[in-house]
Amino acid sequence: MFGKILKNVAVAGLLASSILAAPADAFERTDKGNVIVFGGRQAIPVLDPHIRYDWSTRMIQQSVYDALVKYEGNPAEIKPWLAEKWETSADGKSWTFHLAKNAKFHNGDPVTAEAVRYSFERGLKLNKGVAWMLKDFLAPENIVAVDANTVRFDLRAPYAPFLSFLPWWFVVNPAEVKAHEVDGDYGQKWLTDHAAGSGPFKLGRWEPNVLYEIEANAGYWKGWPQGEKNRPAGVIYKIIREPAAQKAALQRGEADIVEGLTPDDYIQIKRVPGVVIQDHKGMTTFGIKFNTQKGPTADINLRKAIAYALDYDALIQIYNGAASLETSPLPDAMKGHVAVPGMPRKDLAKAKEYLAKSAYPNGGITLPYVHVAGLEEARRIGLVLLDNLKELGITVEVKPEQWPNMVAAGSKVETSPAMTSVFTTPVSTDPDAVAYQYHKASWGQYYAMMFYDNPKVSEMIDQARAATNWDDRAKLYADIQKQIVADQPEVFGMLQNRRWAHRDYLQGFKFSPVRFTGEVDLYPMWVKAE
Amino acid sequence: MLAFAFRKVLTLVGTMIGIAALTFVITNVAPGDPARLVAGPNATEDMVTTIRTEYGLDKSLPEQFVVYMGDLMTGDLGQSIVTTRPVLEEVLRYAPATLELVFVAMAIGIIVGVPLGMLSAVYKDGPIDHITRIFSISGVALPAFWFGIILQLTFAVDLGWLPVSGRLPLVTRPPETVTGLLLVDSLLAGRLDTFWTALRHIILPAIVLSFPCLASILRVNRAEMIEVLQSDYIVAARAHGIASFRIVAIYALKNALLPTLAMIGLRFGWMLGSTVLVETVFDWPGIGLYAVSSALSSDFKPVIGVTLVIGFFFIVANTLVDLAYAWIDPRLRSA
Repeated sequence: MFGKILKNVAVAGLLASSILAAPADAFERTDKGNVIVFGGRQAIPVLDPHIRYDWSTRMIQQSVYDALVKYEGNPAEIKPWLAEKWETSADGKSWTFHLAKNAKFHNGDPVTAEAVRYSFERGLKLNKGVAWMLKDFLAPENIVAVDANTVRFDLRAPYAPFLSFLPWWFVVNPAEVKAHEVDGDYGQKWLTDHAAGSGPFKLGRWEPNVLYEIEANAGYWKGWPQGEKNRPAGVIYKIIREPAAQKAALQRGEADIVEGLTPDDYIQIKRVPGVVIQDHKGMTTFGIKFNTQKGPTADINLRKAIAYALDYDALIQIYNGAASLETSPLPDAMKGHVAVPGMPRKDLAKAKEYLAKSAYPNGGITLPYVHVAGLEEARRIGLVLLDNLKELGITVEVKPEQWPNMVAAGSKVETSPAMTSVFTTPVSTDPDAVAYQYHKASWGQYYAMMFYDNPKVSEMIDQARAATNWDDRAKLYADIQKQIVADQPEVFGMLQNRRWAHRDYLQGFKFSPVRFTGEVDLYPMWVKAE
Repeated sequence: MLAFAFRKVLTLVGTMIGIAALTFVITNVAPGDPARLVAGPNATEDMVTTIRTEYGLDKSLPEQFVVYMGDLMTGDLGQSIVTTRPVLEEVLRYAPATLELVFVAMAIGIIVGVPLGMLSAVYKDGPIDHITRIFSISGVALPAFWFGIILQLTFAVDLGWLPVSGRLPLVTRPPETVTGLLLVDSLLAGRLDTFWTALRHIILPAIVLSFPCLASILRVNRAEMIEVLQSDYIVAARAHGIASFRIVAIYALKNALLPTLAMIGLRFGWMLGSTVLVETVFDWPGIGLYAVSSALSSDFKPVIGVTLVIGFFFIVANTLVDLAYAWIDPRLRSA
């Protein structure tokens, strides 16, 4: 009797499995055209362009909003966008931008100088997100709409990096924002999951923690680089948190492009027919930050000893070759970068020499190495360090830590660990974006958890950001880079390549190193359908 | 009966207040500065202060606790610092997805676990028994995370039978929300194609979630069945020549189900709490995923909110099991 039941169950199972079988999907097709599916790991909790700007958020912000200028190309260059042209006063304090006359918001309103003025005022007054970029140099009342298409910014002092931040200051439609204001909140609540922009895409479905859809703005004032015929109907940013699931989705055609696969995944998926890997030298630096103010690592000779003991080739191997060693604190793609001579590389004799000059000539100390929990590559670098420092008689304690806790510990000299692994992505191509991390005013920030203090370096950084002549700045930055390397506040590690995997029918991918980790420019992308 | 119900409600309220207090303390003594994290990597000190003030994080911990408990009494679970939305609104948005997953997983656990336990008992020490025992041990031992990825690779990537993740295909518009349970709502809307699609999406995560529960049900049911099958009344039934299927499936099973029912109640609460890993692997937009992403951002209010919701359902499920006990076994009604 039971045998018969078992047999029936087995037959039913087989039948069910044949019914369930369905062909793998390709890109999504809708009645309006092809929709590109981007599989990313990170959610977009708040879309408001003046409140947040992590990579996934900024990717969608850039799609639905426009800024005065835009970063494009490799190396990244600032291109005119809402502003057709601009000029600077001789003292470098006044910047005047002339707007394109045909720019229109999604609701048809023209993009005017007043809209630009309101957007910058909003960003500065809210004092969140992007505000730090300009608040020390620009007061809301010093933004002037000269006429309908001309806007002027009068800075408190000359600030050379000013233009380099403008691609991240998106322009909102004041009329729409004001219509949705609640208790003078500048429309914050509404702009969390709505948009009031003029960008190439309009906001579609917004399902938090699941997917975010943007639909092509057919009448985009700047046109479409791939042509009206080829432009996609839209893009769906789908959250796929696990690299294994991302890989599976790409293989199945459920996603057209994914970011954040593991180094091993990239090697495996490269062999899959129809999959293309984008592999580009990025600007994200990896450093092992020392606490230079407290504990054993306050000793420069110990820091030098550690820097010379590390096997740098192992860092590259961990990324299966998809990384390059840092030759300066500034990434190679950054303006003003110089390859600093004598950058430490593994040299055990030299390491022992420095150790002998330190307060710990025979080692015998234990140093913590803290990395973000779950970041496998950072953990493996810790194991390399552990192995390498054994030769100096130094014990390394590899400690995973949640990011919020790591940031909290690294905000104070007293609690900042002796060694912390930190990846840092600069927000602009201006050298100040990295150099200022070594200014004493940056203490308390996660990227400054080495609490580096060299008054001469801080002074040079101040001079360089105020100088209006590039040659003067370039010389200062060259000196800054050399001095920082000499002081060894961190082990200068490597620049991890930026990688994405996508289906071969996806066209128009354009890399620009200034974009954040997984961020791509969705505007020129399209699907080449058979 | 009324007094019994009143006692249960009082216990529920007391437990919820206890959970809220305990979770509030635990989450707030953990290191991490949510305001700094939300402000962004380059934020200046005054920008961090702006956020701290906006969310009341500038107040002392006891003050924050009093405000939070006061809000809680009015049904306000606070505001998420990461998403800037009210926690209650977000919990209500995500809870149906989790409940749907748990219901389907529980159904799989019962539908597969009970008959397998029965089979295992009937063919005790035979090949079927050995196979089901290995199956049940695997169910308890396999890590959900690993098992989920293996199922994805096998059934979604290699065989292409089922989707990799999510609740619906990207371009499928969900049916109008009535219960929030996609399977139910699609039926209510008369959209059989959407029902079928939603079913295909839920199968893999539900199997992964059900596996430990299924294994427990199987083991408990097997043990109870073995005991019941040796009872005098079963021997008498056999002596009377009653069909063996009838004896096992009707007379023996009903008596063996009581402890299984208790297990089901316990497992329901356990499942709610353990959807976290399954939801992460399958990108299932439920409260588990919401809790994890909030915890990783030191966003405490959602963590407390989700804990309260899970606690609430756990207590309700156990109360229902108590009532079902009394229904199945009349001897317990007077107790």
